[in-house]
Amino acid sequence: MSPEPTTLLQGTLDLLILKSLVAGEMHGLGISRRIQQITGGTFVVKPGSLFPAVHRMEEEGWISSFWGDSENNRRAKYYRLTKAGRKQLDVETERWGRISWAIAQALETS
Amino acid sequence: MPLFLKARSFLRNLFATRRAEVDLDQEVHSHLEMLTDENVRAGMPPNEARRAARIELGGIEQVKEQVREERIGNWLQSVLADCRYALRQLRKSPGFTIVALLTLALGIGATTAIFSVVNSALLRPLAYRDPQQLYLVREIVPQMAEFYPTLRANIPDFRIWQKEVHAFEDVAIAEPTTADLTGHGDPEVLHGVRASANIFSVLGIRPALGRTFRREEDDSGRGHVLILTDEFWRNRFRGDPLAIGKTMTLDGAPYEIVGVLPASLPFPQVLGGADNYSRLAFFKPLNGMEDYEQGLIGEFDFAAVARLKPGVTQQQALAELNVVQAQIAKQANAGVDLLGALLPLETEVVGPARRGLLFLLAAVAAVLLIVCANLASLLLARVPGRMREAAIRSALGASHGRIIRQLLTETFLLSFAGGALSIGIAGFAVKWLVHLAPPGIPRLSEVHMDARVLLFALVISVATGSFFGIFPALRIARSQPVDALKSGATATTESRRTRRLREGLVGFEVGLTTLLLVLAGLLMASLGQLLRVHTGFAVDNVLVASVDLPPQSYQESASRLQFYDRVLAGLQSLPGIHAAGWVSIPPLAGEGSVTGITIAGADQTRAATPVANYRPVSPDYFAAMGIPLLQGRIFGPADRDRKIVVVSQSVADRFWPGENAIGKICVTQWGPDTPAEVVGVVGDIRTVQLDEPPIMMVYVPHWFSPISVPTSASIVLRTPGDPTLYAGPVRDLIRSIDADVPVTTLRPMSQVVSHSLDARRFPMLLAMLFALSSLLLASLGIFGVVGYSVEQRRQELGIRLALGGELRDLLGMVLRQGMAPVVVGLAGGIVTALFAGHLIASLLFGVSANDPITLAAVALVVAIVAFVACYLPARRAMHSDPMTALRYE
Repeated sequence: MSPEPTTLLQGTLDLLILKSLVAGEMHGLGISRRIQQITGGTFVVKPGSLFPAVHRMEEEGWISSFWGDSENNRRAKYYRLTKAGRKQLDVETERWGRISWAIAQALETS
Repeated sequence: MPLFLKARSFLRNLFATRRAEVDLDQEVHSHLEMLTDENVRAGMPPNEARRAARIELGGIEQVKEQVREERIGNWLQSVLADCRYALRQLRKSPGFTIVALLTLALGIGATTAIFSVVNSALLRPLAYRDPQQLYLVREIVPQMAEFYPTLRANIPDFRIWQKEVHAFEDVAIAEPTTADLTGHGDPEVLHGVRASANIFSVLGIRPALGRTFRREEDDSGRGHVLILTDEFWRNRFRGDPLAIGKTMTLDGAPYEIVGVLPASLPFPQVLGGADNYSRLAFFKPLNGMEDYEQGLIGEFDFAAVARLKPGVTQQQALAELNVVQAQIAKQANAGVDLLGALLPLETEVVGPARRGLLFLLAAVAAVLLIVCANLASLLLARVPGRMREAAIRSALGASHGRIIRQLLTETFLLSFAGGALSIGIAGFAVKWLVHLAPPGIPRLSEVHMDARVLLFALVISVATGSFFGIFPALRIARSQPVDALKSGATATTESRRTRRLREGLVGFEVGLTTLLLVLAGLLMASLGQLLRVHTGFAVDNVLVASVDLPPQSYQESASRLQFYDRVLAGLQSLPGIHAAGWVSIPPLAGEGSVTGITIAGADQTRAATPVANYRPVSPDYFAAMGIPLLQGRIFGPADRDRKIVVVSQSVADRFWPGENAIGKICVTQWGPDTPAEVVGVVGDIRTVQLDEPPIMMVYVPHWFSPISVPTSASIVLRTPGDPTLYAGPVRDLIRSIDADVPVTTLRPMSQVVSHSLDARRFPMLLAMLFALSSLLLASLGIFGVVGYSVEQRRQELGIRLALGGELRDLLGMVLRQGMAPVVVGLAGGIVTALFAGHLIASLLFGVSANDPITLAAVALVVAIVAFVACYLPARRAMHSDPMTALRYE
């Protein structure tokens, strides 16, 4: 069984969603599976967290949505990065780098 | 760009909700389908796959709700939704909504209106600068203290205090005065104040226009200046600022208008203002001292008000004042001592009204309590129904806070609607009360709605509403929603505890209402007793015309007498007149001269001498006023220059009990001591007030002494029918004799009697209004609660009917349950009233505080009203078809 899903830090979910969309447009379930894949199964994003986040990010203008057909010919809502989203990804990545460096520093200090 | 996007999302969320909802629903469903597909591909059977997908998704509605909460403008959206839902809920139970709205509107409206009128007309605190530093200065002559414990001040003493009492920052004096205004159409008597020039600076009042008095205007001959009150300036000069500098003729002398006072300036009687029933028109400076005002002891006519220096205590100031008073007594060398007294102005002005204020506040509190109790019991009645609803909502994914918010929204909506209505009602009621009030009530034109009371009442009712409104939510929080859901139909009967509480509230309301009604009823009964009191004079068919002779043309008593004689002679020629006479002051119009009377040879110190009320009259006065002659005769022209008097029965009883008073000699102390022969004894009358027993009266003829022909008098006329028909002819007659003599009042005696009760009638009316509003509110409460519980029990009642229950029995059962708390409350209210009645005993006349008739009448009224309030909703429910009732859910 996979380990207990780690609680996501505020803002981390946004970063993961943005990152997963770099590969191309994706529907909700795709985003969720992609995050699971790129984090090696550490993060499992449930629909209850995913949907509020993507809707909020769409309102922020970072991603846009359209209806399309899924691989199994089901109608699904797809999301893709916008220009603002790419910029936001850079900002978030840089911020995350700073945070993880700082945390690592803190943990190394004895 | 992002800002534009956000705005677009916000608008879409607000207005294109339907499309967004469909979109969201499709997205979540497609997600579920894809999850299922995934599971099927992983080898699960279809049913299992669907179930696992659902579990992973975690509830379609919950996910959708979480997305909605993330949306921009979600807050506004959900508040709007709450409001819409609340409105639908309120529309669904119109009985509850209407009763609650009426409760709020009437309760808050009535309280605000009544309090506003009384507060601004009667009780408004002093609007002076630092009023706690202001003290009335009174003089004490120990030798006169038995009859006059304290005296007002005179000009010479005031001048000495100004120089010598250093604890006073300043001191000012004022006395009421009147003046005849001529040169503007009909002559008119104005009420005013003669005051030292510094009166306004001592009180801390700035004029609204022009200037205040200058110091030198207190000097003789330089004080022909006037400051007008705002009211007089508006009436006479239509608020024209150019009135400053104009000249008015008062008592035949020209006065220049130099200033106008601000509106709503209180100038109470204790400060030398006119009594409550006449309106102040002007202030004039001292303008020097009259000859009779020169003495250090005597003519204590002026109210004196001192402003203490900051930091000086009342004791310090009094000690210094007494030192100065001792010096004055020594300097006067009149064989009397002199002391001083300092009375806090605020207490002196507000003090007498204090009991009234407390009574009023208690009544306001009672009505507000009833409003709250009503709201509480109405909301409590809804608890069982609402609990079920709240349970359903919570099962459907509503969070706890969300349910509370929904219930609060409903209460707020109700409270604000009620509050808005109440402002309308209060505004209307204030106008109505002002219209209703007797003309004598001061400052009525300035009455405005009291925002503090309105706000207070609103806050209290919103708080009550909120507390009882979220009751169902709180109860739900403590139990599992499943229980409430499972209880199903049985949830429509309320828990015993809520019912107890609700019945207690109804009983409480009825009790308070009963108490208020009893108190108001006692006041009303007192008024009725006063109107029936034996006055001793004729009330019907008597016309009283008061005239005020201008001093410049009526300096001589002979000229005054000639005027009165010509008026009486003219009246005799009017058709049908039975009798006409004059009197210095008619009954119930003032106190007049109260001074000593004794009998020859009585060895009494002056201080212990009994006092009587002296009134100069013309011989026909007694016939005109209907005062019966009991013994002897009335004086007539043949007695001219003889020192004779007519006395009232109580004088004869006091000095010559059991003897014939005719021919006896009494010593009058009206002016110098004068022995006078009693020629007649007349009946006692209620001279000063209807609620005071008759006082000793001495009637003297016009030749009795130099002061026996008054400068103002009332012509009394006994008419054959309606006295008002003679008002016109009497006015014409007086004008034809001297057009410069103003007729100050012209009214039937019945009206004088009635007006003398105004001071009682208005508070009685207000108390009655309070009591009736609370009766109305309480009956609304009973109506609402019984109505709602019948509605809730429709199913139960339907079953009973279907099983053969008698309609009458069911009706009886509902009525019994509705009336039970009423009976308890009524009994409690009556018992409380038995005790509380004594608190207002001093306001009662001719009825005991436990008056059984009042108590019985109130009990009957409350019982009938409560019964009707129970019967109406009960009957309506009973007359419905049992089948509909059974199906009703």
